[in-house]
Amino acid sequence: MLHRMNPSVKFVFITVSMIAMAFFFNPWTPLVFFTGVIFMQIAFAKIAWKTWSLMMLPFLLGAIGYFWTTLVFGNEDSTIGTALSLSFRVLAFSSLSLLFVFTTKPVDFIMSLMQQLKLSPKIAYSILVGYQFLPVLKDEFFQIQQAQQLRGVEVPKPPVKRVLAMRHVLIPMLAGAVRKAERTAFAMEARGFTGEGKRDFYRKISVSRADAAGAVLFLILLIGSMAAGFLS
Amino acid sequence: MLKSWKLKEVVLMSLFAVVFGIIYLLFLHVGNIWASLIGPIAYEWIFGIWFIVSIIVMAILRKPGAAVIPETMAAAIEVMLGNAVGPRLILAGVIQGLGAEAVFAATRYRHFNVGIYMLAGAGAAVFSFVYGYLLGGFAALSTEYVLLMFVIRVMSGAIIAGIGGKYLVDALLATGSLRGYAITKRDAHA
Repeated sequence: MLHRMNPSVKFVFITVSMIAMAFFFNPWTPLVFFTGVIFMQIAFAKIAWKTWSLMMLPFLLGAIGYFWTTLVFGNEDSTIGTALSLSFRVLAFSSLSLLFVFTTKPVDFIMSLMQQLKLSPKIAYSILVGYQFLPVLKDEFFQIQQAQQLRGVEVPKPPVKRVLAMRHVLIPMLAGAVRKAERTAFAMEARGFTGEGKRDFYRKISVSRADAAGAVLFLILLIGSMAAGFLS
Repeated sequence: MLKSWKLKEVVLMSLFAVVFGIIYLLFLHVGNIWASLIGPIAYEWIFGIWFIVSIIVMAILRKPGAAVIPETMAAAIEVMLGNAVGPRLILAGVIQGLGAEAVFAATRYRHFNVGIYMLAGAGAAVFSFVYGYLLGGFAALSTEYVLLMFVIRVMSGAIIAGIGGKYLVDALLATGSLRGYAITKRDAHA
């Protein structure tokens, strides 16, 4: 069901939930929320749990960092409860984001932003163009790197110097991007794309009953986790 | 606002957003690893990286929106690539972009020099800090610690996004590929 929800509806609910979470400093609200999100994914979505855990891992570590930072550098009012709350918040946010990422097709997301949330087609289609160029840009990255290696450019070992050395690849890539943008825009205009607001869509993204059901689920979860916070 | 935009300028923003979206994601992972060791302050000193596309695109196109739109697009690309920060990145992108945009708007899009770029980087840092303060629950941390985070983030914004952005734009200008954009039409070193 989560897969069938409209991407914009999901996006709005996730954003609202996150902002709501920001006002709670007790450990129970984010914990209940986190558990709820995981149950929702088990019940209503197909998730590749192995990838899920891999993507979750860095944030689990980040949550630990948050925990001890709040313990050591917290203000007078913070307790272990506050520290737990902030680390659970990191987990709740990450699980919610992964729920979105795992149940939404990237292209559908942009199409839906354009059709439901009135994002300008000029911007929406440009983002899709950029997205299409990803594999090309990836190949180009390796080509530039290899070409430079052939000419004897060495990659420095120390991390800071290595980051600074990225500019040798970045600048040719950006120069290439400028040229690609020109050619692509020309091709789009040649095919009659003007980017005006009123247009038809070959692939329509709609709001359906799955969205109503999903909305109810999100609301129950949000209210439930807030209630857990007040009751404790 | 979008009426005055040529399609090639919008596509340029998007392609830059893709390139920097990837870089942003890389640094997000670097930040995460650091953060597990030294806590949320780990992100602060590299924060300027995440503002850089605003400054670069604004320096090239010099139009209202050229800071906030590419930053938002880069965030959208990061979401499309899939990561566990997800949709709230888009909100963060809008807010950071607005911070940089505010500085350029205050000069009425007339002055483009390294000082303004540094201010724009700092502006993005201030805006993003307010947002981070709320979502990250910094209210639970002691004032001194939050202040330290704030100062590091603003400096990172000014140095990495401001000076770094200026450096990259100048290097890109030297390649000659920016002919036909605002940066070469007006006095580039105003």
